[in-house]
Amino acid sequence: MSSDEIGAESTATRRTVLRAGVAAAAAAPIAAGQDTAAADTEPAGTQTGPARVPLKVNGRLHEPELEPRVTLLDALRERIGLTGTKKGCDRGECGACTVLVDGRRIKSCLTLAVMQQGREITTVEGLAHGERLHPVQAAFIGNDALQCGFCTPGQVMSAIGCIEEGHAGSDAEIKEWMSGNLCRCSCYPNIVAAVRQAARELR
Amino acid sequence: MSASVVGRAVSRVEGVAKVTGAARYAADTEVTGVTHAVLVKSTIARGRVTGIDTAKATAAPGVLGVFTHQNMPRLTVPGPQTMFLKGFLPVQDGEIRYSGQPVAIVVAGTLEQARYAATLVKPAYDAETPQVSLAANMDLAYLPEPHPMSGPPVYTRGDVAAGLESADVKVAAEYSTPLQHHNAMEPTAMVAAWDGDRLTVHASTQGVGDLQRSLMAAFGLPGESVRVVCPYLGGGFGGKALSWPEPILVAAVARQVRRPVKLVLTRADSYTASGHRAETRHSLQVGATRDGRLTAIDHTLTQQVSRTDELMFNNPGQTRVIYACPNVRTTQRAVRLDLPIANFTRSPEASGGHALESALDELAYALNMDPVELRLRNWSATNQETGHPHGSNHLRECYRRGAQRFGWARRDPRPGSMRDRDGLIGWGMATAAHASGGVPGAGADLVIKEDGTARIRSATQDVGTGTYTVMTQIGADVLGLPLRGVEFALGDSAFPRSVVAAASTTVPSVGEAVVRAATQGRDRLIALAVADSKSPLHGLDPKRVAARDGHLFDTERPSRRIAHREVMRRHGKPIEVVVSPAAFTPRRFSVGAYFAEVHVDPGIGRIRLRRVVGVFDPGRVINPKTARSQVIGGAIWCVGIALTEHTLVDPYLGRVLTPNLSGYLLPVNADVPDIEVDFIDRPDPSSPALGARGFGEVPSTGLTAAIGNAVYHATGVRVRDLPITPEKVIKS
Repeated sequence: MSSDEIGAESTATRRTVLRAGVAAAAAAPIAAGQDTAAADTEPAGTQTGPARVPLKVNGRLHEPELEPRVTLLDALRERIGLTGTKKGCDRGECGACTVLVDGRRIKSCLTLAVMQQGREITTVEGLAHGERLHPVQAAFIGNDALQCGFCTPGQVMSAIGCIEEGHAGSDAEIKEWMSGNLCRCSCYPNIVAAVRQAARELR
Repeated sequence: MSASVVGRAVSRVEGVAKVTGAARYAADTEVTGVTHAVLVKSTIARGRVTGIDTAKATAAPGVLGVFTHQNMPRLTVPGPQTMFLKGFLPVQDGEIRYSGQPVAIVVAGTLEQARYAATLVKPAYDAETPQVSLAANMDLAYLPEPHPMSGPPVYTRGDVAAGLESADVKVAAEYSTPLQHHNAMEPTAMVAAWDGDRLTVHASTQGVGDLQRSLMAAFGLPGESVRVVCPYLGGGFGGKALSWPEPILVAAVARQVRRPVKLVLTRADSYTASGHRAETRHSLQVGATRDGRLTAIDHTLTQQVSRTDELMFNNPGQTRVIYACPNVRTTQRAVRLDLPIANFTRSPEASGGHALESALDELAYALNMDPVELRLRNWSATNQETGHPHGSNHLRECYRRGAQRFGWARRDPRPGSMRDRDGLIGWGMATAAHASGGVPGAGADLVIKEDGTARIRSATQDVGTGTYTVMTQIGADVLGLPLRGVEFALGDSAFPRSVVAAASTTVPSVGEAVVRAATQGRDRLIALAVADSKSPLHGLDPKRVAARDGHLFDTERPSRRIAHREVMRRHGKPIEVVVSPAAFTPRRFSVGAYFAEVHVDPGIGRIRLRRVVGVFDPGRVINPKTARSQVIGGAIWCVGIALTEHTLVDPYLGRVLTPNLSGYLLPVNADVPDIEVDFIDRPDPSSPALGARGFGEVPSTGLTAAIGNAVYHATGVRVRDLPITPEKVIKS
């Protein structure tokens, strides 16, 4: 994996998490692992417990009731009912939960839902137009770039990001920039072929 | 008239569902009012729970129940015939058999509430010092009782001592393979819901039938009261092949809280909950005549078992079966350790094959003989263990075709002789081989509907191998329907009984059942067509009638034909067929040959795999597209086993130190080179499934040895302990 990729992705993510972490802590001090006693010492006037959080997913506004500690991934899956986005590790290591936020690929398990208010969130359910598949989806089927299919939503979202970023110029580049998405069935060469084909079609 | 749909590179029939997110895996199941469970796991590896403080957890927001061995309902431990092999159910007593054993289950309204409350459960332990290191406990090795799942503890043919005595050249070496985890991308998940005394469990399992039977046993329920559903499985690789305790525990707590309960194991849980490939050590002695004919192989394999089972999953079948050698002994010894039970892991015979194929490379060097030539000289037309001929065996052609595609003839065999500007190049090869079948068959049912389309069902699974697709192809081929005219359904224990989707057995078992059901259905369709006075086929001998492209036709005058749809419309009701499982599917070996090129940076010992060629003989290839993917996947598994994967266990605490995907290194896209795949593709005449054999596990054997052999060729360093990491190359 290239250090560039790790660097670029993790710096941005860490910064965002820190910023939001402060906000979330102020909003509700009940993050996992903290003792409930902390609730007694919260600053006056802060709201605890769930609240309606507006999230725009695939062009549609949802307002799930959420605690601040809920990740975007769990909000999508457990509250909004969009289960296409998968949880493979819940700690940013596998890429199965990759979604696009304002066009940029992120791991939805590493961000809190409350941090994504007002942003355009795109999940794998939001790509096809009726029966017409997104070129990346079609290329994945045609190139057999999936087996069990569990990492596939994340691979597809990541592939769209990879192509839009201009990182699909060669097979070597695709491999490097798709290495944040693990596939245990190990379809990697077929995934490269699918991204290559879709990149050509989308150009 | 179009060609047969069998043998065509058809895209996966469930592809659209998988690329759009519509495919529902176990954790995606929508159940009204579902609650969430989280496990509390033991932090000691051996000892007893002396008490558990659950007060704070019970009082935490949203908590519906905290269950420990003190308040769990008593459950019956299912027997091994349900593929429940663990031997005990956790959270039933205070004894701790390994670190990570569940000691409590917390159920709450939301996942966040359950996860938080689980941190408040405080167990107290009386801990003993665990034994977890295989290396440190080799003196405890013993011969377990024979068990059908283990293969023979001791197998002998001929006289091994005399065979070694008579050898001109001998090689003796020790090899080891590490503890490895399946790491399916989908963590094990389940949702259990009761409706009175009826239980439905949506679970990620390779065996809906086995899991159903384990639940029946645990709760004392009849079959019609328990249903297990799993239409999509996010990888298994053996980790979801057994019936594990969690679905039973979750069903038990769901009954207690009177709500449906969902449990999704964390990635960390998966390093103790779903088995693993046991660490193994191999001691090999191989003898040969000066002209390269094997005179003896003595292969002793020692592997970890647990405190509660002694099954050995690393059966060295290849050593007994593949090569012509009159004197062979394989010995399987076990060492009991305070670790979870091991189980099948993609290609259980891979570790034995790795040791054998590495030793043969050492023998080739000792003989000063090309390693391909050595294997060709010892090729056998018969299964050397049974003495029966293989159904078919085109291994020699695999070697020849692979060597040619790879350019093997240009290899300078001297270690360190091939270089490029940046470092050393090594070329290595090995045989791939794995058993398939040899288990009870599968059942299936078929309905030909009034519109002429068909639906076939079997309680099997698609692990990602392509079961949905190839069974649809087989059904369509036999029925003479286009692909879209056949629907294949799986993953429901209410469907006709099948076998667990493991051991390369789905094509020979389920494939056979689909052939049988579809043949009966087609014959009944033909009988209707020849009996109907208004049919163009009226009065014909049924043997003259065949089916293709949605039509029945006269083979002697193909223009005389009638559509399935038309026959069924006139019949006015569906044709229904049920076939029961065959008693047995034939046990066969599928084979292949791998050739690998590595590049080694001599300064830092970094190994990069540059290219791989694999040529295989799986009998007839039902779908070249999915079969090729199966090979690529298997090859990349070998890359992980050979170069990166290794579960580390703390020798004192007995805890897995790498329970995540950043500490446990799976190959990623950038690690994978060009993989060239070819098939001999000739039907096995002994196959009950249109000439195809079980094949899935073959490609994840052999390449580990080919890589190790290539590293030796590049560097002159023989790393006999996997994974081959840079420090081992530099140190030698």
